[in-house]
Amino acid sequence: MTSRFGTLTASAIGIAAILLAAGAGAARAVEADEAGRTVFGQSMAAGRPACTACHLANGAGQPDVGIPRLAGLSPSYIEAQLGYFATGVRANAAMAPYAAALSPAQRTQVAAYLGGLSAPPADEPSPAGPVLAHGRDLFLNGSEHAGLIGCTQCHGPTGLGVGDFSPRLAGQSAAYVSEQLRSWRAGHGRDPQDAFMRSVAPHLSDADLASVAAYVASLQPTGGAGP
Amino acid sequence: MKRIVVAAALAVTVAGGAIAWLRPPATAAEPPASYTPPSEADIPAGKFGDEIRMGEAIFRDPQAHAAAFVGNTLRCSNCHLQAGRLAGSAPMGPAYVSYPAYRSKNGHVNSFEERLQGCFRFSMNGKAPPLGNPVLVALESYSYWLAKGLPTDEKSPGRGFPALPKPALPVDYARGAAVYSQHCAMCHGGDGAGQSSGGHIVFPALWGAQSFNWGAGMASIKNAAEFIHANMPLGMGGTLTPQQAWDVAAYMDSQMRPQDPRYLGTVAATRAKFHGTPFSMYGEQVNGGVLGDPAGTPPAGTVPAAP
Repeated sequence: MTSRFGTLTASAIGIAAILLAAGAGAARAVEADEAGRTVFGQSMAAGRPACTACHLANGAGQPDVGIPRLAGLSPSYIEAQLGYFATGVRANAAMAPYAAALSPAQRTQVAAYLGGLSAPPADEPSPAGPVLAHGRDLFLNGSEHAGLIGCTQCHGPTGLGVGDFSPRLAGQSAAYVSEQLRSWRAGHGRDPQDAFMRSVAPHLSDADLASVAAYVASLQPTGGAGP
Repeated sequence: MKRIVVAAALAVTVAGGAIAWLRPPATAAEPPASYTPPSEADIPAGKFGDEIRMGEAIFRDPQAHAAAFVGNTLRCSNCHLQAGRLAGSAPMGPAYVSYPAYRSKNGHVNSFEERLQGCFRFSMNGKAPPLGNPVLVALESYSYWLAKGLPTDEKSPGRGFPALPKPALPVDYARGAAVYSQHCAMCHGGDGAGQSSGGHIVFPALWGAQSFNWGAGMASIKNAAEFIHANMPLGMGGTLTPQQAWDVAAYMDSQMRPQDPRYLGTVAATRAKFHGTPFSMYGEQVNGGVLGDPAGTPPAGTVPAAP
C-alpha cells in the first residue's frame, strides 16, 4: 500500500509539475505577446508616433499609399528587416529611427507579435482583366523572352512565402511591391538575400512590374488559387 | 559516341572524400540554345485544351493529380523549370520531338510515354503509370502542345541541359560541401530536405527519402552539374563557375537517397549493371558508408508519398 501510495504521490507531483510548467510557459507567451503589442502600439522614441500610426493597430498597413501590411508575415523576416533598417543596410529614412530605437529583444517581440496577427484579406481594387492576367502569367511562368523566372519558384505556388527565405507576397500592398521592385531594378541593395531579386527585377518592364504587383495584391493571404 | 568517350576518359575514385578525375580537359561550353514555347493564352479551346491544362496541372502538382504514381514530394516543375517551358532545364517541347528514341538506359527504342514512365519510376520514386493511363496522356498532350512549331529533330534547340566543360580540378566532396553551404543551403536546407510554402514543396529535397532515387538522371553527377550550372541558384544561372557546379553536384550525388528500383540483390551487382560510370556514386564509399547499402537506404517506389 505504501509503495502504491508513494507511486501515486509521485505521479501526482509529476502531473502538477507538468501543469505548472505548462502554465508558466503559457504565461510567458502571454507576457511576450503583451511586450510585442506594447512595442507596436506605443511611442518608443520621444516625439515619434507609434508603429500603429502608419501600419495601423491590426497591422493591415495602408496598401493604397504603399505602407506594407505586416500582420501575419514571418517573424524571422520582420525581425531581420528591422535589423537592416536599424543598421542602414536597408536604407529607409522613415523606418531607420524606429528600428534603431528598439533593442534587439524588442525587435524579436514585435516581430513575434506581428507574425501572430491575422493577415488582412486582399481587398485592393484590381486593375482590368488583361493587366491581372499578364501579372498572373508572370507570377506563374515568368517570361522566356525576358529571361525571367516565375515568382512562384521562390515564393510558392500561391505566394505564401517559404520559411525564413522568402516573404509572403499574397495580399501585400501593390504600391509597396512596385516600389520594392523598382528599387531592385535600379540596382539598390536591400538585404543580404536580395541578390535574387536584384537579378530578377531588371528583366521587368514598367507594365510587367505594375501587373505582377497588382496580381500578388489580389491573392488571398490564406493561400488558394489566384483570380 | 561522344558521351562514351567522355565517360571512358574520366574515372572517379573516392579516397578521403576526394573524387579524382584522371584526365581533366577543358572545352568551351556550347552557346545557350533558345526555345520559346507557346503562351498560356494560346491553349486551344475544347477538350484538347482541357487535356493540356490537366497535363500542366499534373506537371505543377503531381501529388494532387497523380498521387497513385508518386512516391516523394517532388514536382515535375522542380527540375523542368517554368513548368517545363525553360530552355536549358530539360523543357518538355524539345523533349517531345526527340521521341521515339533509342535509350541505352533500357536498351530499346522508347516511345515518349515510356520515357514519361521512367520519370515516375525514378525521379518521382513512385510507380510507372500503365501506357495509355490518363496521367500519361495528359502529360503527353501538354508536351506535344509545348512542342508547337519545333522540327522532329534530336537536336532541337534548348533541349536537355547545356553542355558543361569538364572540371579543371578533380571534383571534390569537401569543396562541394562549401559551395552547398554558401549557395544552396539557404533554400534547400543544410540537410538537403528542401522547404515548402503552404504545404507545397517549393525548394525540392535534394537527397533523403523525399528526393529522387538512385536510378534518376539527376543522380548522375554530369547531369546534375549541367543543370546546376545553367539554372542554379534560381534566377542566377551561370553565376557558379563550372568547377563549383561539378563539385556541388558531386556533393549532392554523394548523399543517401532512395534505392534504385532495379536493385539486383546486392549493391555491387546493381552498380556493375546500372552504374558503371564515373558519374554515379552508387556503391561508392563516402563518409564511412556505402551509398545504396540497403541498411541505410530508403525504399524505392513508395506510393503514395510519405507525409
